[in-house]
Amino acid sequence: MYLYTLLAALVVIVAIFLTPLRYKVWVATATIAATAIAALTLVVKAFADGTVTIASFSTSMFGAESFVVDKLSSLFLLIISIAAIATVLYSRGYVAGYMQRFSPAHFSLHYTALVLLVVSMMLVVMSSGGFSFLFSWELMTIASFILILFEADRLTTRRAALNYLVMMHIGFMFLVVGFVLLYNVTGSANFAAIQDYFKMQAPLPLFVILFIGFGMKAGIFPMHIWLPEAHPAAPSHVSAIMSGVMIKTGVYGIMRLMQAIDNNTELLYDVGLIVLLSGIVTGLWGVIFAAMQNDVKRLLAYSSIENIGVILIGLGIAAVGHAAGSNLIGMCGLCGALLHTVNHSLFKSMLFFSAGNIYSMMHTTTMNQMGGLAKHMPVTAILMLFATVAICALPPLNGFVSELLIYIGMFNGVSDGHEVLYSIAGIIALSLIGGIVVIAFTKLYGVVFLGSPRSHHVAESTEVDNLRIAAMAIPAVLILFIGMFPQYAIRPIAIVAEAISGADNSIAVNHFAPTLQSVSAVAWVLVAMVLLLFVLKHKLQSNRKIEYGPTWGCGFTAPNIRMQYTGESFSEGLESIGKPLMKNAVDGRAVDKSEIFPSPHNYRIEHKDKVDSLFGMWWVKMMHRINNWVMRLRTGRVNNYITFALAFFVVVLILTIVGIL
Amino acid sequence: MVAVALSITGVINRTRALLAGRKGIRFFQHIYNVGLQLRKGAVYSTTTTALFRIAPAVYLGATMLAFLFIPVADLEPVLSFHGDIILVAYLLALSRVAIVLAALDTGSSFEGMGAAREALYGALVEPALMMGLATLALFCGYSSFADIFSMAQELNMNLSVVLFLVAYVFVIIMIIEGGRVPVDDPKTHLELTMIHEVMCLDYSGVDMAFIHIAGWLKNSIFAVIAANAIAVAVSFHWWFAAPLAILITGVSVGVVESLRARNKLSRNITFILTIVAMSALVLLTGFLLIQNIEI
Repeated sequence: MYLYTLLAALVVIVAIFLTPLRYKVWVATATIAATAIAALTLVVKAFADGTVTIASFSTSMFGAESFVVDKLSSLFLLIISIAAIATVLYSRGYVAGYMQRFSPAHFSLHYTALVLLVVSMMLVVMSSGGFSFLFSWELMTIASFILILFEADRLTTRRAALNYLVMMHIGFMFLVVGFVLLYNVTGSANFAAIQDYFKMQAPLPLFVILFIGFGMKAGIFPMHIWLPEAHPAAPSHVSAIMSGVMIKTGVYGIMRLMQAIDNNTELLYDVGLIVLLSGIVTGLWGVIFAAMQNDVKRLLAYSSIENIGVILIGLGIAAVGHAAGSNLIGMCGLCGALLHTVNHSLFKSMLFFSAGNIYSMMHTTTMNQMGGLAKHMPVTAILMLFATVAICALPPLNGFVSELLIYIGMFNGVSDGHEVLYSIAGIIALSLIGGIVVIAFTKLYGVVFLGSPRSHHVAESTEVDNLRIAAMAIPAVLILFIGMFPQYAIRPIAIVAEAISGADNSIAVNHFAPTLQSVSAVAWVLVAMVLLLFVLKHKLQSNRKIEYGPTWGCGFTAPNIRMQYTGESFSEGLESIGKPLMKNAVDGRAVDKSEIFPSPHNYRIEHKDKVDSLFGMWWVKMMHRINNWVMRLRTGRVNNYITFALAFFVVVLILTIVGIL
Repeated sequence: MVAVALSITGVINRTRALLAGRKGIRFFQHIYNVGLQLRKGAVYSTTTTALFRIAPAVYLGATMLAFLFIPVADLEPVLSFHGDIILVAYLLALSRVAIVLAALDTGSSFEGMGAAREALYGALVEPALMMGLATLALFCGYSSFADIFSMAQELNMNLSVVLFLVAYVFVIIMIIEGGRVPVDDPKTHLELTMIHEVMCLDYSGVDMAFIHIAGWLKNSIFAVIAANAIAVAVSFHWWFAAPLAILITGVSVGVVESLRARNKLSRNITFILTIVAMSALVLLTGFLLIQNIEI
């Protein structure tokens, strides 16, 4: 089995490296498509039969393990397959701009890593735990590290990639510690053994250790800081698959943990509380920073953090609801969280693809140099608008459906008197997140696509190639489907949710099925109504005079483009509230109020996380200090080294005599 | 309900005129104005895209749909399903997004300013709205408007204080969302008051009429919810709630507009956060009261 897998991997790598530059993408596409089809057949089988075991084997470290597809993994396999196909299709047009800059080997490496990332993500969600899980997890990290390094000739890229690698390994250490702990107590490191562990030992320490390990990947506060660094550095299609799918493997891990809790009410309650609180903090932190950013991809990265927060809020409410004995709240929260996981993977990959289109035309991701792109890239503009409405959780698209489910869960919590305070906290957080997300994305869309151009690059940009548009259309169709027919989309989700919670879902499904039916109807009515009004407007205007002119400047006769509202000024109001959370990197000087006739100014501001320094500065300083101290021993004289060796032996001798060793 | 929507602005204008000692404009002047606009042509900025043309339709369409979910006391709403209170909040958000994007589409600094403020205030007021709704859900155990208000009849009278406070919260929300003094001044779009009105600077004719109609509907949604909350405590009939909706919002907005100037902009955020805190307080009070009663 191992041999065949290795052989297949080797064949793919050799094929990618050997084919001419232009066809490398197609080899990668064929491989990923084949993998995806294989995964989809497994998904279908898993939904029909329950679980499908692909391979069982024994490892020297943790004993018996296997690759198994159950319902939860099949949901993630589905997400991975869809995103992977869209990503690889998109990548062709995106990397075409780099053909001159890099050698063919560079592209080979890139595509190999892409295939590796997809395969390793699939292995992660299929692994039963233990060694094979850790192995796939590490493989996933390394593959994505190589992918981030695509533009390795830029210093910022190298720094971001290294930062990513370090952060991921801190998380990985936590996972290793968690699994070793698990193995020591239960004799097995599979996810199934967690259940036994929770019965045998104090469960919370293990939960927290694994939660931190998974949270590092998912980007839970305060472990989110790698996201806004890594995404602007990575190529857009890589950001799309990393942000859309890879961070979800962290969520997958947390779901596995929750699945293991079973019916231990007390633990479920504590876990729910931890997850809910971290969800609220993560969501709010992410969304406030998203609204402040002036860089397209940093904004999207922070918005991913926010969406992870929303998913966690759903999971937390579900756990608290189950603990309180309400299946309804549990199912609503769980279904909402699962559906939001799917939804986010769809619209976030679309948004990153749009960002890629913009970047390949504008050669920058700084928002304040854009404006009016909708006229030059109309299809991208429409698709991006679509994704924007979806991520703002507005009807009639899919984001609304998942948030609605979480809301229903929480409102039920309030009205039935189950854990009212937590439900209220969740409602406040989610509504605030919903409100600020609107600021963030109207800012993004308005500054980039609408208004007048802020630099000459805009006029030179044109629509991207059709393959990229087609790649973006794949998630778009699914977004529309989930938004317009939520009653069908919820069925597989409910089955998965039932598998996680182990509770009967029929009550809950009966409860929200009519709601979703109505949501679907309302979505159609909304579309019809808007169309009707638009037609009515046309009718009313048909025999009236329509004139065109410049934008009304309120009597000011010499408006120019630089006077337009910028992204920074758009979120200025929010900044006055969020100031304590951030530290600003300012370049140049703003126009002072006392300057009546201002001289030319150059002003650039970047809003950075205060949490950055939590990871960034202190441990770097500490490492420096330790290093300096150790360096003092490195004198370069042989006699000193011999002394050290002697001292070492003496110490060992003494320790042996005393009996410590 | 439609009558409520149509007459609130009239009552506001009359109250203002009365307090200022003027003769004032006719009661239905605003309707006449909109009728006039519907028959006019339009001027479009060359900076704008198709989005600018569609936005008023989305704005009005979403608001109209939200409007259909609101019952007036014992009068059933046109549409209703479990969970529609969330839908209404998000439909209003959709209408906000449409108009904010349209404002940014013009590329004008004035409209950008308005859009930025509208987006911020909308975001901050959202929790207040949700908590107001949660308070109602807490009392009545349902999450659709129709059920909330019909279940509410069997309510304990001790809670009526809280219901009055909920009504107060919704009136303030209406002031914020409707762009009224002290948050915004609907009479001007210039200089210091650039919020709601300034966003529609580049609209004319039919588009402007759509935006006005949507504004009335939006106001009436909050007004009727507020009136319903009071009607639950006092007398649950539509012939009580509907005039009440017109009067409490119309008169209170009229009085406030006549008596005080609008806030400094930097004070607006404090004002909105105060109402958020207030609604949280109301929700907690309600929660404690319910707990006491059950014990």
